[in-house]
Amino acid sequence: MTTPLNQTSISDRSVLDRPTVVDRSGTAGRTAKRVGAGWLMVSPPVMVVIVFVGIPIVTGILYTLGYTGGPNGIATLLSTSVLQNNGSPTFDVFSKVFADRLFRSDLWVTVLVTVVTVVVVTAISWVIALYARLSGSRWGRFITGIAIVPLFIPVVIGAYSIRNFYLSTGFWGSAGSLLGFHLSPLSYHTSGVIVAQIWTSLPFAVLLISSGVAAVPDALIHAARDAGASMSRAVWSVMVPMATVPTVIVATFTGVGVLGSFTVPFMVGPASPTMLGVQMVTTYNTYQQPQDAQAMAVVLFALAILIGWAYVWANARQARSSAVM
Amino acid sequence: MTVAPSLSNGAVDAASISVAADRPELSFGKRGPSPAERARSVLLRLLGLTVSIVLVLFIVGPLVWLAIGAFAKTWNAPSLLPQAWTLSWWKIVFAQPELGHSFWLSLRFAVSATALATVICLPAAYAIGRRRFPGRRVVLIGLFATNAFPKMGLFTSIATLFYSLNLMGTGLGVVIIQLLGTIVTMVWLPAAAFASVSPSMLDAARDAGAGPVRTFARITLPQAIPGIAVALILAFLACFDEAQGTYLIGSPTYITMPTQMYTLVDNYPAPAAAVFAIVLTIPSILLLLLVRRHILGGHLAEGFQIK
Repeated sequence: MTTPLNQTSISDRSVLDRPTVVDRSGTAGRTAKRVGAGWLMVSPPVMVVIVFVGIPIVTGILYTLGYTGGPNGIATLLSTSVLQNNGSPTFDVFSKVFADRLFRSDLWVTVLVTVVTVVVVTAISWVIALYARLSGSRWGRFITGIAIVPLFIPVVIGAYSIRNFYLSTGFWGSAGSLLGFHLSPLSYHTSGVIVAQIWTSLPFAVLLISSGVAAVPDALIHAARDAGASMSRAVWSVMVPMATVPTVIVATFTGVGVLGSFTVPFMVGPASPTMLGVQMVTTYNTYQQPQDAQAMAVVLFALAILIGWAYVWANARQARSSAVM
Repeated sequence: MTVAPSLSNGAVDAASISVAADRPELSFGKRGPSPAERARSVLLRLLGLTVSIVLVLFIVGPLVWLAIGAFAKTWNAPSLLPQAWTLSWWKIVFAQPELGHSFWLSLRFAVSATALATVICLPAAYAIGRRRFPGRRVVLIGLFATNAFPKMGLFTSIATLFYSLNLMGTGLGVVIIQLLGTIVTMVWLPAAAFASVSPSMLDAARDAGAGPVRTFARITLPQAIPGIAVALILAFLACFDEAQGTYLIGSPTYITMPTQMYTLVDNYPAPAAAVFAIVLTIPSILLLLLVRRHILGGHLAEGFQIK
């Protein structure tokens, strides 16, 4: 039973094989040309990224390990204190930075602000996206439109207006005292930084999650509902899994954006403890200790790698699920 | 109407299509509304209203507060409106020479960086969107490196390199910093736009005898233009509004409008700072209103999900 089948498949393949081989030799040159042209076209931005992102990060990491010469030479000349290694990498810079209590509290504030912002922004975006999708009303579209407003406003302006708004002499304090409450101001406080981070991060999150939720076909939701699922069950079992990838993209971008932010904590936050973005600039410019600032940057990179890992995982998942579909 | 789970897929699809025809909008009430369901829908609507009011206050409140401040003569807390109004702050701010200077400087940097980004990124976007070549996905994800590192950490690393390259405090250094912020936008969004050009129209053009150049000019480009326009405007605004990198690399030689905000808010009276802030916001609002429809239509979201 199996032999004839095998025979036919072998003979089939041998018939098919010959033209394929001929074809391949014919297109080899064309393929090489196609690949070459593709690479030629993508090479300018790739070069920019290698030269102005790749190299500074590698030399920056080497700087924190005590390699103070070469491309780091000029910065070393300009700095007030530098730790140099004697041939083998040293972690003394990191020990020095971590020994500083101020740095540890800044690091804690940075992580806290990032985690809270990511969670709140994702949650609000989901609520807005679901409301707009399920109610299908003009009101839903209006709310989506409102949530995108910060996209139109430069971050410096947004941060400044938020600082004024939540002062004790701003709307926050004034409305509070008119209603008979004493509300302590959020400006110049970490809570104000979180509020401003949520404000600036919301538009991108709402756009992406809304488009993810909108992409779930009506038919799937109806099918789930008709099979007896409650609305919340339909949302949880149909919409949430189908919009996982945009959600992870949102969380990644928001997380990395907040980690590396300077403007919002600089404008809205207290002088100390502040986020590492501000502390790095102060260390770099005011204290003139680029090596210490670089060590803080490397700590931020390590945190970002954790977030980047989630992004790559989501991409792999997307590739897998599109292969199945 | 309920569909038994044992039905085949095709039957479920047919049934749900007919249901969809009955109900153009997906709604909470499915069968006839019972009193409990009606109460729930009223409650939901009330909840929606409260949440929307809070959201509107949260998003728009600070901006309105800032805008009112630009017209305040005397405004003593606690009061939700100024006691006396004036337009004099506008005259005072427009009389400052720094305003015009920093505005032109911002414009020059932003236009240079966007033009550079166009030349560098659009061919790459076309290759990624329309061609399949080994390493394409690596490039696509690799360019994300510009956004994968926390911005200020990346900028301090670049500053150290810029000292060695003699780019610290130079205009070219500022342009490069602003260019870096546009790469992902200028590659991913146009790539998604190029990728979504209808293949059947390309085939039709080729069948009608159009060469590759003509096909590109008459079919590919017109269809990709909205996506490219969104990318260009977002890139320009990213440069125009870029403050933190420009501040680290450019100051004190080059003070653009957004970097001026950092010091201005503490050195000027609050109403003057409010006027300055409004002036700085006008270009963003005008340009984004131009492409608002496309951004809401999903060009931005599409660009970030290109495969």
